[in-house]
Amino acid sequence: MSNPISGFGLGLRSSHYHDFLLAPRGVDWLEIISENYLVDGGKPWHFLERIRRDYPMVMHGVSLSIGGTDPLDQTYLRQLKALQQRLEPAWLSDHLCWTGTDSLNLHDLLPLPYTEATLRHVVPRIAAVQDLLGRPLVLENVSSYVAYRADEMSEWEFVRELIHRSGCEWLLDVNNVYVSGINHGFDPRSYIEAIPAAAVRQIHLAGHETHPDYLIDTHDQPICPAVWALYGETLRRLGPTPTMIERDDHIPPLAELIAELDLAREQSQAIFAECRHAA
Amino acid sequence: MTTLGRLQQRFQSAILAGDRTPGLFIDEENDRRNGVAIYQQAYRARLAGALRDNYPVVHRSMGDEAFAALADAYIAASPSHFRSIRWFGDTLADFLAGSPAHLPHPALADLARMDWALRGAFDAADAPVLTSAEVGRLRAEQWPTQRFTPLPSLRLVELAWRIEPIWKALDEDPDAQTTAPVFDPHWLLVWRPGLDCLWRSADADEAKALQTLQQGASFAECCAQIADSAASDPAATAIDYLRRWLADGLLAKAQR
Ligand SMILES: [Fe+2]
Repeated sequence: MSNPISGFGLGLRSSHYHDFLLAPRGVDWLEIISENYLVDGGKPWHFLERIRRDYPMVMHGVSLSIGGTDPLDQTYLRQLKALQQRLEPAWLSDHLCWTGTDSLNLHDLLPLPYTEATLRHVVPRIAAVQDLLGRPLVLENVSSYVAYRADEMSEWEFVRELIHRSGCEWLLDVNNVYVSGINHGFDPRSYIEAIPAAAVRQIHLAGHETHPDYLIDTHDQPICPAVWALYGETLRRLGPTPTMIERDDHIPPLAELIAELDLAREQSQAIFAECRHAA
Repeated sequence: MTTLGRLQQRFQSAILAGDRTPGLFIDEENDRRNGVAIYQQAYRARLAGALRDNYPVVHRSMGDEAFAALADAYIAASPSHFRSIRWFGDTLADFLAGSPAHLPHPALADLARMDWALRGAFDAADAPVLTSAEVGRLRAEQWPTQRFTPLPSLRLVELAWRIEPIWKALDEDPDAQTTAPVFDPHWLLVWRPGLDCLWRSADADEAKALQTLQQGASFAECCAQIADSAASDPAATAIDYLRRWLADGLLAKAQR
């Protein structure tokens, strides 16, 4: 793999293009939304190419629809592959979800029913994508607000089995585990404990909105204390893991996000100093 | 059709139709535990947000409320088939033209055409701009077969109304007071020589001449097209056009 990633990253958003050209301290790598660069030129590519010179990058997609029942979109996959060749990301991720059916795209990350039939459907699709891209696909757990009557297993049992059968890797979104845990009444720690540590490439942290009956994954505010605590437990289990903060709405000045990222770095340093001390 | 395929169709229909009980989820009967509405709201909000991004001046011209109503109607009529939400709204101008209910003034469809052309030029393919100096170095024998290729970002947009002053005023100031545009069929040229988009108005003859170049015609063929138009002095017109296109930075350097 071209650029091994370590440390603490942020999502590249256009409002921070000019800030990143100055290569500020405190950001080790960047994650881009692949779809934002499936265009021919102009400002997106102008800034991406310049910023890429200073930062290792990973690609994160939102419309692979790996769990969808329409055939995989070959045009989209070819575009992703071309982007991968041009950008040489350390890895490429999308979500364990479906985004639409009958050729529509709802532009959302919709949960799958956790069944044996779904596993049999998704595993060969992951294999097809991995063959085409020539590397393991990294998948991320999504937040969800519904649970299917058809479910035969918990989400974490499903994810474990999916990783085992497909050889895919994992992007563990700690906020999404927490949000879904509260929404569906499971203990987020059982989820984290069930994910095979060796498969986890990356961690996402983000903020969510609190409603009377639901938490909603909005990426529009700072990370809440409960998610910080869960992040600590996750690190204790996984060891040092590349971590990034996602912010997609109410995007603050870059310095504010870097300060929040410093909290993740400090927490990680404290935990592993403690571990070394104990060892 | 597999069980999973049917399940996805039912969930998708519920999101599109606003039905909260597709019979798929636990706790559907319990209003407070029914999460389907979250997906329904998020879907509409996300697509409406993409429309606002793609049509900033139409949004300013209509105001939040009328634009939201337009977005709802458009989302219902033209759901997205795109992998990237960046392309959502590609047919909004035609939708507006065909739906008088959303059209306080027919010129609004032209504002949408202008917004969309600028959005398209913004991230179109880049190409180095052809300069007058390079054209000056052409030898006499090169002229008969010489091709001038417009930049890949060039958009030629046919407009019925003189909307450019309104577009400019609202682009500069969201609260600008504007007056109704006059009916005046003409063309709009949008192109991007560097990172920023440029635009200007043009008459039909000039737009048609550029169209022939976009289609790959030589400059001689382009001149023949100008001669077929109403121009009183076709040769002088062709030279004027070329000078202006070079000054505008609207032509691309030849590919090697
Ligand atoms: Fe995430």
